[in-house]
Amino acid sequence: MSKALKINKGIEEGIIDFLEFLIQGGKIRGVFTLKKMNENGAVAYSLITSLDELKKAVPFYPFMPVNAGKVLSSFTLRAATEEPVAAVLRPCELRAFIELAKRVQGSLDNILLISLTCGGVYPLRSLKNGDLKNHLSSYWETVKKAEIDPETRPTCQSCEDFIPQLADMTVATAGMKDIDKECVILLNTLKGEEHAANAPGNIITEKVENGNIEKLQKLREEKKKKLFEDFDSNHAHPKDFIKTFAACVGCHACSHSCPICYCTLCDFDSKTCEYQPQSFTSELGQKSGLKVPPGNIFFHLGRMNHMAVSCVRCGMCSDVCPVNIQVATVFSRVGDSLQKVFNYIPGRDVEEPVPSGTYKEEEFTEFGEQ
Amino acid sequence: MSSDQEERSPNSLRGKVLPAEEGPHKAIINFLKQSLEKNCMDLLLIPVKGPDIKSYSWVLLKDKSLLEKADPLPPVMTVQGGRALSSITKHGKAGLQIAAVMRPCEIRAVAELSKLNQIDLENIILISIDCPGAMPLADYMNETDKIAASFKTILEKWEISDSLRPVCQICHRFSLSSLLPSSSQESSLEKDETASPVSDLHIGIDNEKKSIFLIPVTSKGKGILDNLGFSPEDSLQGWESKVEEIKKKKLEKKEQFVQEWRTKIQGPDKFVAAFDECINCHNCMRVCPICYCRQCYFDSQNLKLSPDDYLERAEKRGALRFPLDTLLFHLGRMSHMVLSCVSCGACEDACPMSIPVARIFTTIGEQMQEDFNYIPGRNRGEPLPLQIFLEDEFCEVETPCESEEMPAKESEKNV
Repeated sequence: MSKALKINKGIEEGIIDFLEFLIQGGKIRGVFTLKKMNENGAVAYSLITSLDELKKAVPFYPFMPVNAGKVLSSFTLRAATEEPVAAVLRPCELRAFIELAKRVQGSLDNILLISLTCGGVYPLRSLKNGDLKNHLSSYWETVKKAEIDPETRPTCQSCEDFIPQLADMTVATAGMKDIDKECVILLNTLKGEEHAANAPGNIITEKVENGNIEKLQKLREEKKKKLFEDFDSNHAHPKDFIKTFAACVGCHACSHSCPICYCTLCDFDSKTCEYQPQSFTSELGQKSGLKVPPGNIFFHLGRMNHMAVSCVRCGMCSDVCPVNIQVATVFSRVGDSLQKVFNYIPGRDVEEPVPSGTYKEEEFTEFGEQ
Repeated sequence: MSSDQEERSPNSLRGKVLPAEEGPHKAIINFLKQSLEKNCMDLLLIPVKGPDIKSYSWVLLKDKSLLEKADPLPPVMTVQGGRALSSITKHGKAGLQIAAVMRPCEIRAVAELSKLNQIDLENIILISIDCPGAMPLADYMNETDKIAASFKTILEKWEISDSLRPVCQICHRFSLSSLLPSSSQESSLEKDETASPVSDLHIGIDNEKKSIFLIPVTSKGKGILDNLGFSPEDSLQGWESKVEEIKKKKLEKKEQFVQEWRTKIQGPDKFVAAFDECINCHNCMRVCPICYCRQCYFDSQNLKLSPDDYLERAEKRGALRFPLDTLLFHLGRMSHMVLSCVSCGACEDACPMSIPVARIFTTIGEQMQEDFNYIPGRNRGEPLPLQIFLEDEFCEVETPCESEEMPAKESEKNV
């Protein structure tokens, strides 16, 4: 029988009340969530331990300065936390954390995972150009109606994985018309239920009505289909990739902001990929000119090869690109295909190994010998 | 304020005037074409327009047909030229003669990088050009045609437009004088034998007269003109006085700018607030020509702690921002590179949160460089301030200071 915690306050107030309850009662030492940095709407993930600081928390602010999976990984990189903490994060961030945990880049132990049915986030530039501030209220109206906000990241608009699978608790948001008055937290696991015991609000056992969630699922699927079709029609030939990445300046911001790209020294930043003088001379023997610094396309294809199978389509990569390349569209398209080939969904199960790390003798025999 | 004002103007230099009826771009490309044809160099390093029709990339080219798409002064600075050249000769000198055609700030970055052993200048000919500035990269990528048209006007009229990048608007180092060693360095030697000009050949632009000037600075530069049969005997006075005029205007702007920004970031609270929006992506560091470390200290294992350590830090103030060490990263990076900061503005162009990084680093860089009487990229032979030890320096921050007598204790007075 599914349970939920119902708090008679709007979702933001409600979740903060709940977090306050957890901290005060010593059930957690701190919580990872978004916190206001200034009056201009700047936010950052913060490990909050005091109730005073918790007052500045804005857990569901539609902005992702960094993928929280990366944050939790950096927190638990050296060791699992022995002290209980909570984390409020979006479904793609949670899936990224699970993918990182599989790669021994973090641990889920002692972390209470709180997520939400996600309405998406605004692009990073929306902070500076005022879009975020101007659209905030209409964003929430759109979320309530289970519709797509066209100002959110393209990856968000086309995200069909917006219902978190492995969260201990899920704040019901998308399609819930009373989020200004009611905070309904679905208790998905035993851990979730235990933490909700004696919390402010009531435990309800009747099914939480949200027929609209199916409507949103359908809309997102349609968007995804269209996004991928547009992409495919513009990328019928390898040359098209060269055009797409023509403006790339090799800053590697995409890989550094990607939660899955965890390597301390990326292969493509290392000496391996630096040219010796003779490499230039020999390549120029075959071509009339050479773009420098070298290896842009190689970097993108190589990175794709390394991480696309775990791409959670969060969209950080497009946001940080200084030359507006739609990296996320490219990578999520390829990721999607690759994941289907392996029947793999990143972040669905922490025990499920990453396909590229396993060997099965009877696999893809159609590519092998007759 | 800065020793730039006492720099000798290139009066002793002469140049070769070339007509530029259709604008400097065509004339420069023509000159470069001829140089390639006459084997003045084996390869050119110059920005070339990409297949997407709007981007520019550094291309090491040997085929002069590629020059049709080349642009020595693109409206934007996509990759800092110093970084591009360093990718070619980081691991040894270039096997062929390469002439790199760059903006003054890029040439200056090249000089700094050569001092840091990231560029081997043997077989490299540095060709600098008068620079009107560059447009903000984000603006250009969002409205390419509009910004390209604005830039064209700025280049034609050589105006200090406020649509240029902020650090370009105050840049008085846009011409040849900033690439020549100053005659008034601290060493007070009458003739500093280590003085070594940074540019080999400079291209001056005079739009009113519809001409460009080829000004050889070193024997490498002269060699190109000799090869082309050009005699650098033309007077540069008209161009020189125009450059001085613009320089003066920009210096005034810069003084205002420095006043303004010093106030904006004065004190820890304001400085911290300037980075409130920082997401710690480290883009600024990665596009900076001076930041050459393969793995930045601030990305290293040294800064990664255990969960208990993080919780302890969080509990000290009630909250701990993640990713961590935003301030440490910026101040640390600053302390590592600001003395060589050439104010090229690549950092600000790359910041996804539009933080005025270049403006902040320039403000502090100016002060630091003044304190050390060091201007990055003005002299190939001038060592980096942190590479040399001077016994008598900054006494005022030592305690006790030798120049001030400490009052002796009564009991010790007659000892």
